[in-house]
Amino acid sequence: MQNSEYNRHISERMNRNLEDLFNQVLEMGGLVERQLEHTIEALKCDNKDIIQEVNRIDKIINKEEMEIDRLSAGVLARQQPTASDLRLIIIAIRIAVDLERMGDEAVKIAKLAGVMADTPYGCQTMPGYRALMEMTVCGMDMLSKAMDAFANLDLANVVTIVGDEERMDVALQEAMADMEEAFSSSDIECKYLLEMVLALRASERITDHAANIAESMVYLTEGKDVRHMNTEKLSQFMAELEAENSSES
Amino acid sequence: MSENNVSIVMDREDRKLSLENENIAIEVKDWDLYYGDKRALHSVTMSLPEHRVTAFIGPSGCGKSTLLRCFNRMNDLIDIVSTEGEMTLHGDDMYSKDMDVAALRRRVGMVFQKPNPFPKSIYENVCYGLRLQGIKDKAILDESVEWALKGAGLWEEVKDRLNENALGLSGGQQQRLCIARAIAIKPEVLLLDEPTSALDPISTLAIEELIFELKKDFTILIVTHNMQQAARVSDYTAFMYMGELIEYTDTDSLFTNPKVKRTEDYITGRYG
Repeated sequence: MQNSEYNRHISERMNRNLEDLFNQVLEMGGLVERQLEHTIEALKCDNKDIIQEVNRIDKIINKEEMEIDRLSAGVLARQQPTASDLRLIIIAIRIAVDLERMGDEAVKIAKLAGVMADTPYGCQTMPGYRALMEMTVCGMDMLSKAMDAFANLDLANVVTIVGDEERMDVALQEAMADMEEAFSSSDIECKYLLEMVLALRASERITDHAANIAESMVYLTEGKDVRHMNTEKLSQFMAELEAENSSES
Repeated sequence: MSENNVSIVMDREDRKLSLENENIAIEVKDWDLYYGDKRALHSVTMSLPEHRVTAFIGPSGCGKSTLLRCFNRMNDLIDIVSTEGEMTLHGDDMYSKDMDVAALRRRVGMVFQKPNPFPKSIYENVCYGLRLQGIKDKAILDESVEWALKGAGLWEEVKDRLNENALGLSGGQQQRLCIARAIAIKPEVLLLDEPTSALDPISTLAIEELIFELKKDFTILIVTHNMQQAARVSDYTAFMYMGELIEYTDTDSLFTNPKVKRTEDYITGRYG
């Protein structure tokens, strides 16, 4: 299936509605990517103006989610979509939820930068900082790949994205072990260390949501539900799918 | 980045739909209709917007077709029918004694459930109304026939056989021909009484798409048994029940969040 399929209905209104929905999801994804860029920037320089921007974009993202829900409800109620069109509606609602939560998590991470800007420490001297940067950058990269997969209806990166998510689970565990040690050994006040723990957790959640979006792509293009598969199973599944598709063509 | 750079498109057309923002083609006020002693329409009051598609839905016998027929005084043909109330078309009292009914029907065209082309050529079907108006100029007739057939989305299919008998067309083509015949005289309002109930799904979609196109030039009122069709094609929907107008609002609102329990029961299939 290609995204050009969405404008080939007899009904001009259906074409427009589905294209609107498709573009609205892309736009929302772009906003979250931008929000994550700002979040990373805020962590690097403890800049409060950038943190405000992260919060401002979050409000727009919330509205985008509501608009996607509204468009989806309209198409469901009025156009009776079927097959790939129906799957687009289902995953648009799902992706909107994932993106909105990613936005909330970005706000939590940015909050750490805000809190630390008012202290003599600064973010960069905090234990867990390197892991936080690694996970947040990875989350942004995963989101970027997932949104490209959506824009092009291309599943090539799905396994990589899910693999990254598993990698970040491990990174979080290691970071948490470091934080546990920091609570007993660091001079930094506990309340700041707790903020870092929350930010680490938020950055890992971002990677979870990005992986959810990647999994949604498989449902959209192939109609198969691959949620809750680990990378190994998913790799095998995708290889079988590819073999199946190439034998059909 | 400005909030204006993103398209949480607050001005999407479907967001703006509200009767308050519309130009009104037909105003109906306290409209009653009786078949003898039996009251079939109860104090119907509504404003029908210009250049929009308004659908009437409701169970059999709810009065939707009866109301539709009021808009071009088709009910005048039934002896036992009497009416009360006000009905105006762009401000003109449609039921005034001075109203020329033939002239009214030129302003309010109608297409019926079953395609009913005349047993004449495609060309003659389309220009029938124009000839009745006394137009004889071949160039004008040719131009009007082409315009109407294009408007009805039929031109490409029939342009090389305009002199063939219209009864040789498929059901879907015949219905589009009837729409071409109706729009050839350029009415202000087009009434469609279950225009696709005799057609296959693809012809139905073609007519629905046509309805969407035609609203640019005409005000369209459609009666349909098919709720999904009303949802697909209309901008506004009126739900009728036992001769009463129960709910009338923009189609998105009616199908996603009806305000009246009876409407909700009907559109969700809980109606007993």
